[in-house]
Amino acid sequence: MNRRAFLLGSSGLAACRRDRRPRLNVLNWSDYVADETIPDFVTEFGVRVRYATYESAEEMLAKVLSGNSGWDVVFPPNYFIQPMRENELLAPLDHALLPNLDHLEGEFRHPPWDPELSWSAPYMWGATGIAFNRSLQPAPDTWASLWAPRTAGRITMLDDPAEVIGASLKKLGLSVNATDARELDLARREALRQKPLVRAYLNAEVRDQLVAGDVLAAQLWATTAQQAIAGADDLAFVFPREGFPRYCDNAVILRESDRRDLAHSFLNYLLRPEVAAAVVTATQTATANAAAQHALDAEVRDNPALYPPPEILEKAEWFLPLPAGAQRLRDRIWTEIKAA
Amino acid sequence: MSRLLPVYAAAVYAFLYAPLAVLAVFSFNRSRFTVWEGFSLAWYRAAFANRQLVEGAWNSLIIGAAATIGATVIGSLAAYALWKRTSRFTVAALYLSLVTPEIVMGVSLLAFYQWIFRYLDIRLGMHSVILAHVTFCIAYVALVVFARLRTLDPSLEEAAMDLGATEWQAFYRVALPNLTPGIVAGALLAFATSFDDYVITSLVAGVDSETLPMVIYAMARRGVSPAVNAISTVIVLGLGVFILLAQRLQRT
Amino acid sequence: MGRLRTLFLAPAAAWMLALMAAPTAIVCAYSLLTRGTYGGLGAPWTLENYRRLADPLYLSLLAHSFYIAGAATLICLALGFPLALFISRAGPRKHLYLSLVILPFWTSFLVRTYAWMFLLRDTGLVNTVLQTAGLIREPLPLLYNDGAVILGLVYGYLPFMALPIFATLERLDPHVVEASADLGARPLATVMRVVLPLARPGIVAGAVLVFIPCLGAYLTPDLLGGGKSAMIGNLIQNQFTNARDWPFGSAVSLALMAIVMALLYAGLRREGEKLL
Repeated sequence: MNRRAFLLGSSGLAACRRDRRPRLNVLNWSDYVADETIPDFVTEFGVRVRYATYESAEEMLAKVLSGNSGWDVVFPPNYFIQPMRENELLAPLDHALLPNLDHLEGEFRHPPWDPELSWSAPYMWGATGIAFNRSLQPAPDTWASLWAPRTAGRITMLDDPAEVIGASLKKLGLSVNATDARELDLARREALRQKPLVRAYLNAEVRDQLVAGDVLAAQLWATTAQQAIAGADDLAFVFPREGFPRYCDNAVILRESDRRDLAHSFLNYLLRPEVAAAVVTATQTATANAAAQHALDAEVRDNPALYPPPEILEKAEWFLPLPAGAQRLRDRIWTEIKAA
Repeated sequence: MSRLLPVYAAAVYAFLYAPLAVLAVFSFNRSRFTVWEGFSLAWYRAAFANRQLVEGAWNSLIIGAAATIGATVIGSLAAYALWKRTSRFTVAALYLSLVTPEIVMGVSLLAFYQWIFRYLDIRLGMHSVILAHVTFCIAYVALVVFARLRTLDPSLEEAAMDLGATEWQAFYRVALPNLTPGIVAGALLAFATSFDDYVITSLVAGVDSETLPMVIYAMARRGVSPAVNAISTVIVLGLGVFILLAQRLQRT
Repeated sequence: MGRLRTLFLAPAAAWMLALMAAPTAIVCAYSLLTRGTYGGLGAPWTLENYRRLADPLYLSLLAHSFYIAGAATLICLALGFPLALFISRAGPRKHLYLSLVILPFWTSFLVRTYAWMFLLRDTGLVNTVLQTAGLIREPLPLLYNDGAVILGLVYGYLPFMALPIFATLERLDPHVVEASADLGARPLATVMRVVLPLARPGIVAGAVLVFIPCLGAYLTPDLLGGGKSAMIGNLIQNQFTNARDWPFGSAVSLALMAIVMALLYAGLRREGEKLL
């Protein structure tokens, strides 16, 4: 018996002794399902699910890039769909197996990153704004207010080049996806000018300091801000008037998956209005599922920080994948900001 | 001097344990933020109800134990061999593992595994994590054991062999008993490094090998939950008691 | 003679060849490739990634990293040497005290760092205690500066200094110290003349085990430094994550590895020391 046959044989043996129900391997962002989402699917479909989480999209990409990672379903952000397609990592979606796609809101049925939803099913979306302490009056409702001397040393920005450069670009009235060297240089100057006023570049870690009152205003994702606001009455969240970036995480099936039928069932299950509504209630995110919004408590549905009214939402701009040259320029700028 | 030294050491221990006291206190906090709101055991209940957290802790213990045993044996033997006569290649490779940034080691091991495993038709899992951990722990053990060996007098072994001991007997009876403190110190460093590694592990881990640091980092992305403080307190207390008991047994 | 040595060396040599040398060869290949449009790896083969290193920005990052790592190593030595001396003299309790040094590190790095953030922030424990005691009026800026980064690194790597020193000091015969004292040597003179030379191999090993990882640190400068004073590790990390420029990341790290290796060999030779 050669080695390969031996390994296959022994793994087959192990499978006989263990559970023989089919198993789906799902890799998702942390805190992106409700407590009962996965157990309910397991019970209803009589399968097993291996569910694990990642903390950055790049980490997920590094894992699945090989094409033999073992995962079936992952949740890349919108600006990863095209790169993942070009690297031939995605399996096409069979719409016959996904009737619940009809529940999606209009704009997510033909999103710019995948107009026919051939490869991805929009799941949850989010946006970046400013979380602030209500004692700060007038409210910091523009990116420019994060450059004001009154909050010197009491504000934080996200530790993320696309967000910091994006806020500078928006302050200048430019696109968050700018690739032009001259525009990026203007943004670089703005960010460098802001640095002495910034206490720190932090992501979720800032929540504790917002609640404790060390930090008065912070550039933050709406979902993360909601968790801090839930813990402290004197906090609020606002989408800056100049406009702000927006992203959408999408469920996709990997090309390497040999359980595509089951994966489709899982995607279709996640698209059920009541399942999606439970996820939103548990995680305080914004769903792409229109039918789910009707199933939500009014308190969540009418939260303008999660579901901003149309006149605010139209100022949002989707993050896009950037060409290599612009990406390299931005990375140089980011290093300069951090090293200054 | 001899009176000052314990005071100084006590101060250093206080420095080492200050953050642990903080997280132990906040594991009993009612609020999920680091603002005291009242006593509660809710986070302990949450920690033990969190299957991912408990499973991750087990995986980490298994990986840590396996990697420590592997690295301690290989590293100690290598240190002894290099003490006898150096080997340029092995020394350079061990230095290389020290100077390689974590992320680079993780990315390169992942690429290497993916290439090899495709041939063998195996997937990433506990085995790939343990192999990676042994790789970066060998150098720690070897360095510490070698530092200890340098305080030994080589003529001791020579004398033993002059008296008729074989090479093996000289190692086993003369060198090894003298090496114990170095081996213990190296093994402790190896276990601590393995148990706490996130960057390399998260890259080479497979579908079934999520470790405790991976679970904690995932939870932390949207703010650390005090459940993590609770499980950390349990682990430190558990291992602390284990150490005390081991100490007692050793003395009797 | 020597068969045992070969037998003992073989596992490490084979292991390092397969899992260290081979993966490093892959990184060398990466560093000569070009970043694809959306972050993949592709042709053509090029030296462009190395040319980009000549930027003064990256040199200033390197200099800053050397300063931070050097300071952390010196403080680790100042704390770790007396600690190791104390443990080595603790008699039957020495293994207990040794384990107590490592016990805090069986919690997650992230959890420990968050605890430090609580201790050091404006409304944190240290500032609150000082303010309540009336010693200060305004909170001291303890968090988000180089000092906080150095503190975090010292905390994280202290065992890597203390344990190797312990491993060498443990051989120190208490009688030697007593004899030195009997001969009229002052305690500090005893330490400098008798204890320090014996501990030298441990100090060298400890310094290397602390300095090198500190040089490549990236999470501590992010969390305790507030991402305001980046180190070379941040640049490397960023290439493999956010920027998705693996070829440039590989080139930066290979350059760093070459510099550190060269310094290591040159330093050991100059001092007449052996690490392995």
